[in-house]
Amino acid sequence: MWDLLNAWFISPFDYGFMRRAVVGGLALSLAAPPLGVFLVLRGMSLIGDAMAHAILPGVALGFLLAGFSLPIMSIGGVMFGLLVALLAGAVSKMGGQREDAAMASFFIISLAAGVMLISLGGSSVDLTHVLFGSILAINSTALLLIAGISTLIVLTLAVVFRALVVECLDPLFLRGQSHRSGWVHSVFLGLLVLNLTAGFQTLGTLMAVGLMMLPATSARFWSKRLEGLIGIAIVLAMVSSTGGLLLSFHLDIPSGPSIILLAGAGYLFSALFGRYHSLAAKLRRKTTPLAVEQGA
Amino acid sequence: MSQRSLSRLQLHNLHLAQARRTVLEHIEGDFKPGAITALIGANGAGKSTLIQAIMGELRPISGEVVCTVAKERRAWLPQQLALDLTFPMSVEELVMTGSWPSHGALTGYCAGHYRKGREIMARLGISHLAHRPLGELSGGQRQRALIGRTLMQEAELLLLDEPFANVDSETVDILIRILRQMADDGATIIVVLHDMDHLRRLADEVLMLNGGHGRWVAPSALTHQHATAQVVPFSLGGRHVGSA
Repeated sequence: MWDLLNAWFISPFDYGFMRRAVVGGLALSLAAPPLGVFLVLRGMSLIGDAMAHAILPGVALGFLLAGFSLPIMSIGGVMFGLLVALLAGAVSKMGGQREDAAMASFFIISLAAGVMLISLGGSSVDLTHVLFGSILAINSTALLLIAGISTLIVLTLAVVFRALVVECLDPLFLRGQSHRSGWVHSVFLGLLVLNLTAGFQTLGTLMAVGLMMLPATSARFWSKRLEGLIGIAIVLAMVSSTGGLLLSFHLDIPSGPSIILLAGAGYLFSALFGRYHSLAAKLRRKTTPLAVEQGA
Repeated sequence: MSQRSLSRLQLHNLHLAQARRTVLEHIEGDFKPGAITALIGANGAGKSTLIQAIMGELRPISGEVVCTVAKERRAWLPQQLALDLTFPMSVEELVMTGSWPSHGALTGYCAGHYRKGREIMARLGISHLAHRPLGELSGGQRQRALIGRTLMQEAELLLLDEPFANVDSETVDILIRILRQMADDGATIIVVLHDMDHLRRLADEVLMLNGGHGRWVAPSALTHQHATAQVVPFSLGGRHVGSA
């Protein structure tokens, strides 16, 4: 029994790349889910996806300039992500379109541009690396970068937390309270871009958003309180990232998809059996007598 | 000081338009501390437009809004709330967000703020709902919680767009009492009203919007006319005209 546990859960970490991958995954799991929770609460779940595509051309440019260097690719990704966010904001401010429509247009352009750039300068293996990530590529520099970005995100979130809550709950009230309420939204988008940039190394640009959104959407089935949502989402992300890495190691499958699929399994389980709004909760409600319901 | 106590909010020859169509012209007004002004008029008469202009959300075509109240001491409860009711937040947390002006965005609450929050909830009769999520409140309970936030905010200028719509009569009584207390403490309050009974109980002054113009009338004249002749000078609009 002990041997089996050891073989499954301990011995994989004899390898340096697995140790680095799991630490990177845990750092991401701390930073990404709170952002996801706020995206879900703001009804902006798909914006994360859009932003993930938006960083791709920057990552590709960094790749073309400096090869597979994570810091350079990350800087490119952050710059391009912020640029797209700004452009989308500007287009929607011009009045013609809502921000999500502008965002959708820019992200699909970005995706095409990014794939084009990588294909021009590299091989299809490089493209797969950038799109779907690779734990093997996490070296100490990458790990420091991921940990640094995650720390920055958690600290910034702690500082702007209340402003963010008020903006989600009642944007009109926030506008009334502050002359420059727009900064809350900008800081949030900035954190989003930073997080996706940190995530693409392990998970790839397309999958990085998964570790942000799936734990957050799953948590909605388990808690009705903001602290609860964030806490549960973080735990789910940590379990999925570590579990997914182990699965990928033992079954020899790609790491990014196994992490996200594990988180996806968590989502399906939550949707079926969660405490609130799940299928099981709906069935339970039906059997509750009316009188009890009113008395509660 | 004397200037301030004389007037909190003045409207000078205000001309307002929505989508290039003139809604209101030549609006004059002088709103004093401690006064509750009822804003009345038929649907589409421009009540919400005027409130938007006062809150600085709509730029006048000409004329000006002079407001001496700091932005963070102005409170606006629109009829169509931007409030997200699915947001996982309790009544107490909502009330506490009103402490923003004295407190800033970036620091936590202290014991004094929580004490004040609890006092406010007690005044509004919602202490027992403190930890209830917003989504589970009735219309009246929600309205009380929102007024609680403006009390926390120590609002000096309060604009309410039909605060008594879809609200139970107990809440109406409590809100009328609280609003009067706020006015006695020096707040300037502007309320969009449709109901004659509410107007009679609450308003010190009435600004009537009709045909793109504003007219100041005494509430007694309005209610007296209404009570004796059963004739309203024009349709007050809305769902419930008069108190009947």
